[in-house]
Formats: sequence, structure tokens, C-alpha cells
Amino acid sequence: MKLNEGEIGKNYVVTGVLAEKRVARRLEALGVNQQTPVIILNKKGSGSLIIKVRGTRLALGRQIAEGIAVKEAKK
Amino acid sequence: MNKENCPITVAFVGNPNCGKTTLFNAFTGAKLKVANWPGVTVERVEGETSYEGHPIRVIDTPGVYSLTSYTIEEIVTRKCIEEENIDVIINVVDASSMERNLYLTMQLLELKKPVILALNMMDIVEERGMEIDLHRLPEMLGHIPVVPVSARRRTGLDVLMHAVVHHYEEGPQGVVVRYAPQLETKIGQVEAALRNRYGNMDNLRWHAIKMLEYDEEVYKDHPLNLTGIVDYSYEKDIINEKYNYIEEVVAECLFNKEKQAAMTDRIDQFLTHPLWGIPIFLGIMALVFFLTFTVGDYLKGYFETGLEYFSEGFLAGLQAMGVSPWLISLLVDGIVAGVGGILTFLPNIFILFLALAFLEDSGYMARVAYVMNETMSRVGLSGKAFLPMLLGFGCTVPAVMATRALATERDRRRTILITPFMSCSARLPIYVLFAQMFFGKHALLVAYSLYLIGLLAAIGIAYVVHKIGGSQQEDGLLIELPEYKTPNARTVAIYVWEKVEDYLTKAGTTIFVASIVLWFVLNMGPGGIVEEVSQSFAAMIGRCLVPVLKPAGLGSWQIGVALISGLSAKEVVVSSFSVLYGISNINSGAGMTELSHILSLQGFGPVNAYALMVFCLMYTPCVAAIGTIKRETKSLSWTGGMVLFQLAAAWIMAVIVFQVGSLVF
Repeated sequence: MKLNEGEIGKNYVVTGVLAEKRVARRLEALGVNQQTPVIILNKKGSGSLIIKVRGTRLALGRQIAEGIAVKEAKK
Repeated sequence: MNKENCPITVAFVGNPNCGKTTLFNAFTGAKLKVANWPGVTVERVEGETSYEGHPIRVIDTPGVYSLTSYTIEEIVTRKCIEEENIDVIINVVDASSMERNLYLTMQLLELKKPVILALNMMDIVEERGMEIDLHRLPEMLGHIPVVPVSARRRTGLDVLMHAVVHHYEEGPQGVVVRYAPQLETKIGQVEAALRNRYGNMDNLRWHAIKMLEYDEEVYKDHPLNLTGIVDYSYEKDIINEKYNYIEEVVAECLFNKEKQAAMTDRIDQFLTHPLWGIPIFLGIMALVFFLTFTVGDYLKGYFETGLEYFSEGFLAGLQAMGVSPWLISLLVDGIVAGVGGILTFLPNIFILFLALAFLEDSGYMARVAYVMNETMSRVGLSGKAFLPMLLGFGCTVPAVMATRALATERDRRRTILITPFMSCSARLPIYVLFAQMFFGKHALLVAYSLYLIGLLAAIGIAYVVHKIGGSQQEDGLLIELPEYKTPNARTVAIYVWEKVEDYLTKAGTTIFVASIVLWFVLNMGPGGIVEEVSQSFAAMIGRCLVPVLKPAGLGSWQIGVALISGLSAKEVVVSSFSVLYGISNINSGAGMTELSHILSLQGFGPVNAYALMVFCLMYTPCVAAIGTIKRETKSLSWTGGMVLFQLAAAWIMAVIVFQVGSLVF
């Protein structure tokens, strides 16, 4: 599933960064990588969201969130 | 210690918003602006300090997440550490988010230059009940010195400089990040190829790794044919392995991490709420302006009394000395009225910037980018473009410079185009004066409405440009949200003092000169000194504008003159009214009554006043802002076009306001 389809408060694990190359590299440098656990803290109807990743919070637009493939983390 | 030593050159390198600039300021005593969103420092800045007699040259670099070259900040920082003679890199790390900050550290360690890790924000780490193993951490980072500091509380600074002076010749020991065997083989092969072609280089491994990442800069400097060795970009693998290692480091060195980070999350549930986020933002801005007006006005009284005494005493003194009347008129009616009138608005300016500094330092500003993201993406910009616009409430000049943080040139120009519509602090005196003169009890509401009109105009214009330009809707927001924190008194004080200083400087220079020039054009005509102002040069110039400004309800030559002078700085519109009508203390009750009485006699009522404020809100920003825009866009024709566009927009809006207003009221 894509990150923007996730739910607030749930834990996910990144399975791939499929965004456009420039954005993907930027995300990777920010620590959004395969196997990285993320939590969705906040989300708007339009699909932009705030995630917690590697100890910091990132605000992502819908377009970028769509480029991040995730799966639900086993608790 | 030998004082004749060459200065040691130190570069502060770190992620955005990790406290580099605060540290830099602490060392150099400089008062650079600190703000917690990316893009505040966009150029490298230099300063000097010394420790134990060693002169030390310090360089502050823009915040970066990695040493690639995808953004302006990264290019500036990388050039700085690669090309300059940097003796030691101080890697400033936000200890409260080590995982991400250490990624840059890993790259810096590969450079093989001496690196000292400054673990900043240790106070926050402690506040949250976290602990860092300061013994194990350096062991895992090639035995580089690790110094806990708090830039906010100014602790650990001497220890850091001690480390600089004593370790500036030692690089990290050994290889910190060992990659998977197949990657290491590739690195070895590239290293061999490099050595063959260029001889022994001191940072062979760094070059080899960068080449495996397909880094363009490295290939530019050291062209090398690597077919057969490097068949695709290993960047992803390299990043992943670095982060894997960082995870090990964090697992071993950081304790009690998640325990107390919940505060920010709780606040964010309200401030970034999908529904309430925007109303809360507008409410906060309303509160800022409410404080600006009420508290500012409360303090203003003292300034006015002071100015009155000064003005009277000055006049009496000049008369006693027998100074000729024309000089007295220049000094009292020109300079004291013009400059002094502006100084009485200082309390309002002070409160405005105090409130903005609180918002910035608390961590709220970056949230606004998220909150406004949908609104902005509807007009084809990312929420990030809203940050320069917010800065525009303070001053257009830094706001325009902050657009550098935006991704593309197109976004930058569109943001630059609309930023001047955000009411800067220079427009505040105009609103304070005219809203109070003509709207009495509703002054506050009227002034807030102007801020809103500016905001709506900016977004509306962005929308039109977006539609005409036919660009597609994008939502590429990607921004880091800092933790909330109690604003630091020192940071706030520096920020506010800098703004107050700017304001005073402007009063002493631009407004001073403008007042003198204005006095001359008012008192001189084609035939020399004139008795009647209507014969003066100013009146002649102003009268040319009357036909144009009449439909907007601004058809008097004095207003024309005030608006032209306002191009030097928007406050000058107010000081022009002082000089034009010879009012000594324009911001006082008596001064306002006098001016509103004179204006009413000319048929200038509340509707005219509102049209005037709207015109001042929208027309071309001051010369300083235009100059900055020209520099930033590097296009004279674009800047010229913008000026014309803003003049036209101001005229159209003022005409609409006046015509509709006259029908209704």
C-alpha cells in the first residue's frame, strides 16, 4: 500500500521509495528508506500527512506520500 | 601558546535547524538571525574568535542533510568544505534526533578531515529523560572528539574550542562504516583506478564512494573511466548501509528515547488539525496583531510625550540661538516631524517582532507550511512557499531571500511576486495612523482586515498566475517539523533587537533623507523659496498624479507626493503627511485630530482612508525590496514588470474599494 492510504497512529514499515528520482534521493537522505519504521501522526483529507521517522517529524505532501510504499508493521 | 600562529579555520556543518547558527553566534558574538526552518542561512558566513591565544576563523554553512549536490545549500556547503582550507569541521548534531543527524556525520567522517562532533541540544535530551553514552559514541565514530554542548544555554563552548585547538590535526581513525563485501570490493577497485590516474589522494575512499554513487561533482573534478567496475549507481545501497550502521550506533548509545517525546505530538493534534489548523493559524495571527496594536499603543504614550518635549525644547533652543526661520522650519517641520513621527511607532514594531520571534522560536512556523499546504497547492505552490510569505509580515527583504529554499526557479519567482502583498512592518504605521483617525473603535478590525486582504490578494494572484501559466497541480511538500520548545530569551532578544536596530537605522538614514528632500521640494518652486506650498515643486509633481488617483478617492496632490515618497520606505508615507501638513506629533491624539480635521476639509473620509490603506498595502514595495528582488531574480525586466503589475493591482483595488465603498456608505 501507499503511505497516504495509511491511518493515523498506526505503525508502518517502508517497503520502497518509488517517487521521482530527485525526491527519492532526498527522502533517502532524510532517512526514509527500505525497512524504515514510520508512524503516521497526522493526516489531512487531501492526503498530506505528518510522519515520525528516525526520531524526527516530516510533513509530506500527497504527491510525495504516494511515492512511498509501506506495509503495516507487526506489533 | 604562540600567538603568531596561523588562525585555525573551523567550519560549522550540520543539518538544518540543529543550532549551527546559534553556536556560531555564541562564539563570534555575531547576531545572525536564527530561525527554525530550513533555508535561513543560505550563504556561508564568516567570523572570528580565539581560544587560549589561538586565533580561530569560524565559518557557518547552510544546513544540509547530506553531502550530495541537489540543493543550493548542499552545493554551498560542499564547496566550502572541499575547496576552502578548513582545518577542522565541527559537525553540529541535534542530540535529540541523532538517528537522522548522524547520516551527515557518516559522510563527513569519510572525508577524512578532522571532525569534532558537537552534540547540541543536550538540555532537551535531558529534559526528555534520554541518556547518551558519551564513552561508547566516539568509539563508534572513529574516535573523534565528541563534545556535549548547549548553544541555547551556552554550555560546553570552551570544551569545544579546547578540542578544536588540540585536535585540529587529527582525522578520524580507521574506517567507520564498513560496507557489504561486494561494495567494499568495488570501492577497492575504484580506489586503485583513482590512484593509477591521479596518484595518492588523501581522501581516496571518499572519492571512490562518491563515484559509486554517480556523483557528478566528483566526476567533473576527477574524470575517470570506470566501465566494467561501476555499472550502476550504488547510492541506494550506500545510504542504506550507512543508516544500518547508524541504527547500531543509536541502539548502543542512546537510552530512553521515546519516553517523553509525546508533548509535541499532543500539541500537534490541535495545531495541525485537518479542520482547525487554518482557523487556529488565523487566530494566532489575529492575536499577534491585536497585541501589536493594543500593547504597542499602551507604550506609545511615553514616546509621544518624549517627542513633544523634545520638539518644543528644540524649537525654543533654536529660536533662542537666533537661527534663521527657514533653518528652524527645516529642522523642526522637516526632520523632527518626519523622523520623530516615525520613531513613535517603535513600540508597535517592537511588539510585532517580539510576537513573530516567539512563533518562530517555538517551532510553530514550520507547521504553518503543513497547515497551508492544501491552500497553497491549489494555487500551484507548495506549503513551503508560505514560509517566505510569513516572513513578509516582518520585512519583504529577508522574505524574498528566504525563497531560495524553494525547489524550482519558477516557484521562487511566483513566490517573490506575491510576497510583497504580505503587509510588512513598514506598512504598520500607515494602518495604525489611518485606522485610528478614521475608524475609532473599529481601528483594530480595519487593520486586521488589511492583513487579510493582503493575504487573499497574494493567494488570488498566485492562483491567476497558476491558471495562466497552465502549470499542473503539485503537492511536493517535504519539510521537517522541529520539536516544540519554550522560546529562548536570548534568541528572541537578538532577533527583536536586530529588527529594532534596523528600524532605528532606517529612521536615521532613509527616512531622515526623505524628510529633508521632502521639505525642500515643498518649500522650493521654480522661482526659489515659495511662500505658498501650492506653488512648490512637490505640488507640481503631486498635481500630475491627481487625475490618476482621483477615481481611487486619493485625488489630492499631497497624497500623490506622500505615495511617491513612500517608495523610499513605506513609513515615509506617514512622515510625509507630517511634513506636508506641518504636524509635529502625528501619532499623538492631538496630531491625529489635527490631520483628520485637515483631511476632512478636503472631503477625505473613512472610505478614502480605506482606499489609501489598500493602495499602500498593494503598491510597489520600497526601493530596498525592489533591489533585493532584482538581485534574487537576476532579471531587470522581470522586476520592472513586477513593479508595474503591483502599481496596477494597487490602483485597481483602491478604485474598487473607493467606488464600491462610496456607493454603500
